[in-house]
Amino acid sequence: MNKFLLTLTVLLTAGIMSYGQVTDDLRSECALSAGSNAKFLKDFRIELGKSANNKTVLRYKASISLWKNTKYRFSLCNSQGSGGKLILTIKDNSNRTVLSSYDTNGKTYPFVDFVCNKSGIYNLYFDFYDGHQGAGVGVVSMIR
Amino acid sequence: MKGKVIFITLIVALCFACRNSSTKENEFVFPEADSVPVSEAEKLSPEAIADISKNITSPVEIANLLQTLNVPFNQEYLAGSIDANKQSTSFDKALKLGILGADLGYLNIYERTGSSLDVLTSIRKLADDINVGQFFDFETIKRLSQNKSNLDSLLFLSIDSYSKIDTYLRDNNRGQLSALMIIGVWLEGQYLATQVVKLYPDKKLSDRIGEQKIILNDLLMLINPYCNHDPEYTSLCNDLQNIKDRYRDIRITYTQGEPVSKEKNGGLVVTQTETSNVGMTKEQLNGIVEITKSIRDKLILNK
Repeated sequence: MNKFLLTLTVLLTAGIMSYGQVTDDLRSECALSAGSNAKFLKDFRIELGKSANNKTVLRYKASISLWKNTKYRFSLCNSQGSGGKLILTIKDNSNRTVLSSYDTNGKTYPFVDFVCNKSGIYNLYFDFYDGHQGAGVGVVSMIR
Repeated sequence: MKGKVIFITLIVALCFACRNSSTKENEFVFPEADSVPVSEAEKLSPEAIADISKNITSPVEIANLLQTLNVPFNQEYLAGSIDANKQSTSFDKALKLGILGADLGYLNIYERTGSSLDVLTSIRKLADDINVGQFFDFETIKRLSQNKSNLDSLLFLSIDSYSKIDTYLRDNNRGQLSALMIIGVWLEGQYLATQVVKLYPDKKLSDRIGEQKIILNDLLMLINPYCNHDPEYTSLCNDLQNIKDRYRDIRITYTQGEPVSKEKNGGLVVTQTETSNVGMTKEQLNGIVEITKSIRDKLILNK
């Protein structure tokens, strides 16, 4: 009985810990979802809470070098239990928006292909639709 | 007793469930100047260092470019002379771990996975020696290497292993080894590109070599805090500075343009019309080829 209770507790704990978080399974699934013509480069684990005042949008920022004559695919995957869809915005070093996976009509895209013609360091901003809290992963691959 | 076990486990679970819910508001601006003062580098935040480590060109990208240009695979480009058993210091081990990581990327992209066993074995030995072997899933990578249909998984797992090692080293105050590994990866990728361009003088490839100027400052910032650590580090800092000197007169210019977007297959395709252009003479390229080979060959010599 003791063993049963302990096993149950460990399983429950593991479930609670993985819910709403980025697991290795989600990362590899997301990487493989980019397609057979995509080659994995790197990924970003995003875990954002809800802002305390409900006005500020919490955002994950990272930077990446992108190279001319390369077609990149940015795949966006949500963890189970995320409050909203993961959104990516990329800005160049002049802070100009290069792309967003969310368009002005309110549509969000699960992946964005970027045909890069200017080599440089770009800033990636990840947040969740409407400022929701959530967890997800952004995968960067190269495609032919 | 049972109640206590359950209570404590749930508390621990909740603590883990709430971790990493944070925002990254601090922006880091890379200095524009050619020189990076040591004091500036020492001020780098952990987030900025993590950013830099993600910025360095992946050897997979270089290898992919070579494949796109129909450049045949060449075993001679690999750092075959590295003997993992003869690396005596942590400096050597971490640097070689990076160099071999780039070679593994090259082998994987060209699907020469059958030839990668020696490289994998050396990587495991070096990773174990600096106590990060637990992040390198040798058995799975070896299995995937033997099954060519799993290239996607192989690439993911190989890159992921290196990424985990890098994060672990930085999180555990061993940033100098992380910096060495990243420099090793970059240097070997640069070596590969510069060796190939001698035989295949393609504009795309020479441009990619010239564009490395963009991230050279980052590499120097990573290693700068350790330049006075001991003579090995000082020598490496000087080597990187010598490479940077060869880039000094290379110009990168930009033309303006607005990105063009369209929907395709449920996703969005964005084509950048803004362009970057590299101004580099043949002599400048030759200088980079020469210095890269000289430094890389010196570093892979077994002591």
